[in-house]
Amino acid sequence: EYEEKTGRAHRPLSPKQNVRKNLDFEPLSTTALILEDRPANLPAKPAEEAQKHRQQYEEMVVQAKKRELKEAQKRKKQLEERCKLEDSIGNAVLTWNNEILPNWETMCCSRKVRELWWQGIPPSVRGKVWSLAIGNELNITHELYDICLARAKEKWRSLSTGGAEVECEDAGFSAADREASLELIKLDISRTFPNLCIFQQGGPYHDTLHSILGAYTCYRPDVGYVQGMSFIAAVLILNLDTADAFIAFSNLLNKPCQMAFFRVDHGLMLTYFAAFEVFFEENLPKLFAHFKKNNLTPDIYLIDWIFTLYSKSLPLDLACRVWDVFCRDGEEFLFRTALGILKLFEDILTKMDFIHIAQFLTKLPEDLPSEEFFMSIATIQMQSRNKKWAQV
Amino acid sequence: MALKATPGTSPEGICPTNIHKVVLLGSTAVGKSSLAYRYVKNDFKESLPTVGCSFFTQTLSLETGTVKFEIWDTAGQEKYHSVCHLYYRGAHAALLVYDITHKETLNRAKLWLRDLEKEFLPDEIVIALVGNKTDLAAEREVSTEEGEEFARTKGLLFMETSAKSNHLVNEIFTAIAQKLLQREQEKASAPSLSRRSTVNLGEDRGRTGCC
Repeated sequence: EYEEKTGRAHRPLSPKQNVRKNLDFEPLSTTALILEDRPANLPAKPAEEAQKHRQQYEEMVVQAKKRELKEAQKRKKQLEERCKLEDSIGNAVLTWNNEILPNWETMCCSRKVRELWWQGIPPSVRGKVWSLAIGNELNITHELYDICLARAKEKWRSLSTGGAEVECEDAGFSAADREASLELIKLDISRTFPNLCIFQQGGPYHDTLHSILGAYTCYRPDVGYVQGMSFIAAVLILNLDTADAFIAFSNLLNKPCQMAFFRVDHGLMLTYFAAFEVFFEENLPKLFAHFKKNNLTPDIYLIDWIFTLYSKSLPLDLACRVWDVFCRDGEEFLFRTALGILKLFEDILTKMDFIHIAQFLTKLPEDLPSEEFFMSIATIQMQSRNKKWAQV
Repeated sequence: MALKATPGTSPEGICPTNIHKVVLLGSTAVGKSSLAYRYVKNDFKESLPTVGCSFFTQTLSLETGTVKFEIWDTAGQEKYHSVCHLYYRGAHAALLVYDITHKETLNRAKLWLRDLEKEFLPDEIVIALVGNKTDLAAEREVSTEEGEEFARTKGLLFMETSAKSNHLVNEIFTAIAQKLLQREQEKASAPSLSRRSTVNLGEDRGRTGCC
């Protein structure tokens, strides 16, 4: 601190400043730490003391230089890493755009692409890759989206004018259900990623989210709107145009695992939980036993994770990376992610009792370290006694 | 950890861990999560829709004893109904929450009560009917008398609350705690019953896989 103080005071006087500017790592505070001679009006130092002071001065300068060099190197390294990261994202964008996307069918399953995929899809191509990977088994066209949306709008209008009951009863669904569903959508939209402030009333994506969810209840009245859907639709909206987001949304929900959950097919959900437990025991036997002892069943934490595809429980950037690999590997990856989370926090969790585990897992820490998190997922083996997920 | 303690070993002769599972049930957006949040953190913020269940704990010291609440805050949407019974199993108390500005949410609370009556004997669970959102009195659709009357006929605790303006939130949980302790002491004073009840408690707490 002493150096800094004197440094600041004397810096302009330093004759060596110009020379030092050219150094690679310019030591800052030492620049002006000058060993002054004692003012002439005072008696001179004894030679021995002067020698000692000089030595001390030199040591201080050396130390300070060392420290500053180290810090400068650290800064340089950080900068390099950032540049490298930006370069690699830039390169990845090029690879995705120029090589992979034009040759999707042939390349999407190659090893190289799968590895690149695991690293996370660059945000600028993410939507395209998700769309391609999710596919459009249902053959939904933009026109169909417009039709569904028009119907939804009609319903909203008739609801607000009070003529709904007759119409809806005709369709075989009770008016109350419908109304509840439509009203619920309205209610939930403003509760979807509230801190992003873009889906709330008056926000830029409020109407888009409303439209997609409304159109879906007209497209699949048997499924309707189920809480948790608004988060999935929101993540898609952030990465795709409206009609494409609707197509991805409908196809995504049509996958067997998502259908089982969103129709709240309890029996099928239990089958999924049971399969999950097989892999849980295989991968984390100690924690599994601890959970068993505490009667902590997977439904406690999995329901939220699976329903919202982690978009509500993980930070958004991490959730998107989970979605990336979910698009690559399918439902299996959702359960692998769950095991990755359990593994990452295994040590903490084994020290907790039922309620604290439940609390912890339903409200994960906000500062999840992304690299560690994905490393943890990577170590999870989705093979049990030579059986793969689908077989179990 | 608390679960490891064997029932009946405490000097007071009551549930030694004194953990009481309280489950919040009711329609979506009536304020279940907000009530729990207000009670535990004494704060109010817009909650996200609950998917599945979220959890809170709170310890309450009364003159007659200490109660540790394990609060299970469930998803409100009707479609989740089929998974909700997973959550209220083994509960010691339930808050049936409705929104005083939406009449149909009281009807829904009544349906929840029917479910609970199927699952529990009357002395196995303390049930409170809670009319939330008194801060929105201008939009009221359910009169205080209506809620009160229904609670009285069914023998439920009753209060109208506001999680937003912190009105009677602590009070309803305290009333539940008092009732729980009172019941336990009654059971403890009738020895044969007490043994039965601790055995039941052990089974009740079983959160075994629902399969």
